[in-house]
Amino acid sequence: MNSALTNALHPAAVAAAAANIDWTEKRYLIVDDFVGIRQLLRETLRNLGAKHFDQAASGGEAMTMLSKTHYDVVLCDFNLGDGKNGQQVLEECRIRNLLTPSSVFLMVSAEKSVESVMGAAEQQPDAYIIKPITEGVLLTRLNRVWQKKQIFREIDQAFVEKDYLRAAKLCDEQIAVHKLHAIDLLRMKATLLLKAGEPDKARAVYEQVLDDREYNWARTGLAKIRMNNGDHEAARQMFQGVIAENRFYIDAYDQLATAYQYMGKLEESCDVLEKAAKLSPNSVVRQRRLGLAALKLNNIPLAERAFRKCIAIGEYSIMKTVDAYFGLARICGQKNDAKEALQVLALAQREFTGELVQLRAKITEGLVYHESGDYRRARKTGDELEEMLNDDPERPDTPTCMELATLLFAVGVKDAPADLLCYVIRNNHDNMVLLDEVQDIFEKARMGEEGAELIKAARKEAADMMNKGVLLWKTGKLAEAVAWMRTAREALPNNMRILFNSAQILISHMQQNGYNRDLMDEANGVLMHVDRIAPGQQRFAQLIEQLALLMPRKDPPPIENFGFDEEGGE
Amino acid sequence: MEDQAEDHEGAPELFLFLASTAHDMKNSISVLSGTLEGLLGGADDKDVSHPAYPQLAQMLYQTKRLNDNLIQLLALYKQVGKPEYPFDPRPQHIGELVQQVASQAKVLLESKKIILQADFPQDMVWTFDEDLIIGMLTQAINNAVRYTHDTIRIAVAESAGFLEIRVEDNGAGFPQAMIDAGVSAMSGNITGVNFMTNSSGLGLYFASEVAKMHKYRQRNGSIHLENGGVLGGGAFVVRLP
Repeated sequence: MNSALTNALHPAAVAAAAANIDWTEKRYLIVDDFVGIRQLLRETLRNLGAKHFDQAASGGEAMTMLSKTHYDVVLCDFNLGDGKNGQQVLEECRIRNLLTPSSVFLMVSAEKSVESVMGAAEQQPDAYIIKPITEGVLLTRLNRVWQKKQIFREIDQAFVEKDYLRAAKLCDEQIAVHKLHAIDLLRMKATLLLKAGEPDKARAVYEQVLDDREYNWARTGLAKIRMNNGDHEAARQMFQGVIAENRFYIDAYDQLATAYQYMGKLEESCDVLEKAAKLSPNSVVRQRRLGLAALKLNNIPLAERAFRKCIAIGEYSIMKTVDAYFGLARICGQKNDAKEALQVLALAQREFTGELVQLRAKITEGLVYHESGDYRRARKTGDELEEMLNDDPERPDTPTCMELATLLFAVGVKDAPADLLCYVIRNNHDNMVLLDEVQDIFEKARMGEEGAELIKAARKEAADMMNKGVLLWKTGKLAEAVAWMRTAREALPNNMRILFNSAQILISHMQQNGYNRDLMDEANGVLMHVDRIAPGQQRFAQLIEQLALLMPRKDPPPIENFGFDEEGGE
Repeated sequence: MEDQAEDHEGAPELFLFLASTAHDMKNSISVLSGTLEGLLGGADDKDVSHPAYPQLAQMLYQTKRLNDNLIQLLALYKQVGKPEYPFDPRPQHIGELVQQVASQAKVLLESKKIILQADFPQDMVWTFDEDLIIGMLTQAINNAVRYTHDTIRIAVAESAGFLEIRVEDNGAGFPQAMIDAGVSAMSGNITGVNFMTNSSGLGLYFASEVAKMHKYRQRNGSIHLENGGVLGGGAFVVRLP
């Protein structure tokens, strides 16, 4: 080992580390509820040569300043007393895009924080830093974050452009030259490969990492791949193994709950979510999921606790969700407290806007009346909603359609809810979990047999539409296939397989007849719609890759034959 | 925090109270040591010869000891070494580690007129929990301040597949009781008389727990105390796989 005797305090060492970045001209924001700490941090920054800094004493004050001014560096304490905490400030900054890719967010805490090992479940700051903060440590961490941002800059850019395979290739290039960041780069590469629809390659990356050392995120990643391949039991064991090693790795709990859900073990799933919510109670998303799971199991006290907590933490969070209000209203209705239920619904409509919120509030109101025994009012609400369905051919999203159908059946309507459920089936004709749920709604309306027939017919209708398009394509009638798929999309605007095959046929048309601006826009529009209603699909990534190859350039793209996703018989 | 309290059956209110008090104390100590460092670091030649200067330096030393002890008590309370503790090993640059430790100790050592030597391979990378190791080494340096004559040396090297970090001084060396306390701490024998009656017991116990958390291919980290080394005084040695 070649070790030189040097003095670590030598200014040259510090200067060398800081060589590529000048921190003195940056704009800093200090967030801490303790005035002494704010003064101390100001002194520390001044000693580093910084000239521009502001301070905030609370999360709310920090948000006001962050929305007015662009800061290069935010030093934010995790524990900020009443109101938003540091994590909620970070979440809101990220979602409202108040931080640019080059901004640095450092989370300050008094002790080694649990949040630092939570995994992908919560938003992560660029670095954690423990009090007392000294100049040397602050400068080292700032420089390190800066270097990491340089290394990841192009990768992040490609990520934002959804060009996942190029981003993964960039990871390889960086791994070759940056040993220190190799683990972070491999983790990113695996994520990218999954996004690009290459789970086998992602698995190889996780296995490579685990070959050297046990990392919770890599083990969890492997288990997720097993789960998506349908191997739910193996995945369950792996997630539980990770939790046994590290009780704080929250991501593993969330995934374990999903595995149980796939296995049909809803009670176990709910238990796991309850444990995760105990360890990390301030996540709106998790409390919402727990509330919905408990509501499904009719565990009224647990669902009520989760929805109330969800609303309480949502008050200071950008992630606040109207689902918690509707859930709580249902709970109040089931407890025969229609008065509070209606108050909660009124509150929901004050806090959230939009047509869908109005519609869902109306449906929930009807369900509350029905469940609390006010059949006259329930019927009246049902009639109004039925009329609305007759007047407007547009249909809301799948969960809203199902709730609406439940209500309409409950108040004695037959045709409108059955039509609505057929619409749901046509748009999701290969989603077996959803088919079971729809069948359940029919059963509760004492229409089990009739429902089964309707489901079968709706599935066939969707499959026929898709197969006709594929047949036209197979017999070389590409222009007709494109036109037919347009009709199919109009009839079934949210059917994933029709949308994917639509895009595939458009791509195929251009591969044979050359690039066409209109068709390119159409294919792109279809894929963007898919990504909005169901983000992160494997086939989406594969089709985007094919589309990118068709963009005009000097060398003509190679013509390849792509396999089709064909629907088998019933 | 309210949910952590649920794990402490019987006295959740007490736990909440202790946790928020500890948070407050950490803030106060941060301000105290930061202010002292500001005063000492800003002193000119005339200030240094003032009779109050060494007393101020001693105050900083004691404040740092207080901070170390508080961190260790909190960490023990949160069960370092158990799956319950947030352990986060990552590849780290050795140069950055030494630089951060040196910067933590800078003002204290200068005010005590102690020279810090550092000897480490420039481009080495090793995997460990950075915050825990910085805490352990800073505390070893604070401890060496008590034993050294005028020089402390931090040396890092790879040895037989382990990362070996040494904090050495040029004082008279550790008394045998202290070296024995290091052995007791590693063996987990915290009921041993030597260990419990020694004032450094808590620090050594904490350091041994942190070292043992570092595991790689069936090998664990360790600590020990010895006399000798390059400077001929006491040496705190940590080995990480």
